[in-house]
Amino acid sequence: MNNGKKGKKRFKNDFLLIGGLIISGGAVLVLALFNGHNGNSVEVRVDGEIQGIYSLSENQTIEINGTGGHNTLIIENGKALMKDADCPDQLCVRQGEISLKGQSIICLPHKVAAEITDADNSDFKSESDIDIIVK
Amino acid sequence: MKQKICIVLAILCSVLILGACEKNSENTDFSRQNDNISQISDESSSSASKEIFAMDTYMTITAYGEKSQEAVDAAVMEIQRLDKLLSVGNSSSEVCQLNNSGNIKMSEDIKELMKTSKWIFENTDGAYDITIYPLMELWGFTKTQQAVPDQKDIDTILSCCGFEKLKIDNETLTLGKNQGIDFGGIAKGYTSARIMTIFKEYGINSGVVSLGGNVQCCGVKTDGSLWRCGITNPDAPDDTTNLLGVINVRDKAVITSGGYERFFEENGQTYHHIMNPKTGYPADSGLRSVTIVSENGTLADGLSTACFVMGRDRAVQFWKNNKDQFDMILMTDKNEIIITEGIKEAFSSDMNYEIVD
Repeated sequence: MNNGKKGKKRFKNDFLLIGGLIISGGAVLVLALFNGHNGNSVEVRVDGEIQGIYSLSENQTIEINGTGGHNTLIIENGKALMKDADCPDQLCVRQGEISLKGQSIICLPHKVAAEITDADNSDFKSESDIDIIVK
Repeated sequence: MKQKICIVLAILCSVLILGACEKNSENTDFSRQNDNISQISDESSSSASKEIFAMDTYMTITAYGEKSQEAVDAAVMEIQRLDKLLSVGNSSSEVCQLNNSGNIKMSEDIKELMKTSKWIFENTDGAYDITIYPLMELWGFTKTQQAVPDQKDIDTILSCCGFEKLKIDNETLTLGKNQGIDFGGIAKGYTSARIMTIFKEYGINSGVVSLGGNVQCCGVKTDGSLWRCGITNPDAPDDTTNLLGVINVRDKAVITSGGYERFFEENGQTYHHIMNPKTGYPADSGLRSVTIVSENGTLADGLSTACFVMGRDRAVQFWKNNKDQFDMILMTDKNEIIITEGIKEAFSSDMNYEIVD
């Protein structure tokens, strides 16, 4: 009888321990996934040369002097988009918002690239991440 | 009591881990500004990467290893050299000289490209043909303005197209009457293959290039895991989170051709840039995208076009005869996904797919 009670208590504590581990494990996983996918800065390059790296947490307008033309990138609510460009095809403007690590807006005529990057600069860290896009 | 201590310890541990994550994400380093080429060194290896605009597209080159910087610099020089050699828009290129004068003494690069082009042409019943360049010009795909041409103009041009009309005599390549060639459907694959050779010369065991979305991977990642390549979903070409699927590879080129890449609309009809050399019209074979996975970048590039033109049944039959050379991922008009047996372990997707063997 006494033994049985002890067993029950141990079972209850084990349950608590396992439950606690699952919850904290879940929290770590959620945070890791969140960190893995959302970049927090946008890197702007003109013909391969870095023009600047801008934080996504700050709403701002970035004027870019591209090769043979001008582009205007804006950062709003953690997302970047090409607001305006005087390029002939306007493909960059039509592309819309980007905010996830690895996403980019490219303006071929002006040789402008804006890419979402991670805070710690280290590529290919998380197992769940895609290394490269084939298109 | 023991259990309570355990619980407290577990919670403490998770708090510590969470805290570490938090710190990591706050530690933003913006100091890389104005540094053209990023170089991250740790105890065992360094890395280098470079982004350039060449061959009318955007390219990224990344290498890991002791000589990564030299390897990336050499790769960039190779891209620029091949761009000058193969560009149809540069009047001093070898290809332009050939198209203008009708013959040329072939360089080693042209010989190699001709070899692969010929093999694909002959083994796919002409589904890939470098001599349809005048047809691409007629449709306007070499310029900014496109329009559907008159049928009689298409017929006139088609009568001059055909790889079999080219004459290869020792070192000399001679065009047939009114012919012109463009290696556009194969040049980027050849370039990425050349970069892999350069990487090897510099002792690079890990690297990856994307030449406008044509990907080729060298070795595996520095942590020993395979490269994870995301295949673009034709329904959402700009959304990197909505993919057709993912393929894990080592030492492979992964190259996609799709009608969603370049197209124009006329009278409510969409016309894409992948021509059927038989009809002179954009290929209407029931496929939306074809991805080729192969160790041979040049072959992968040419085959992605050829299989797109051939359509599902012929492409699958062609694969059955050449299983040792490549694998593929097809997406049909009905959004069915078909993959070949060789990549069944490497491929994953949220969508349903069928495996052929």
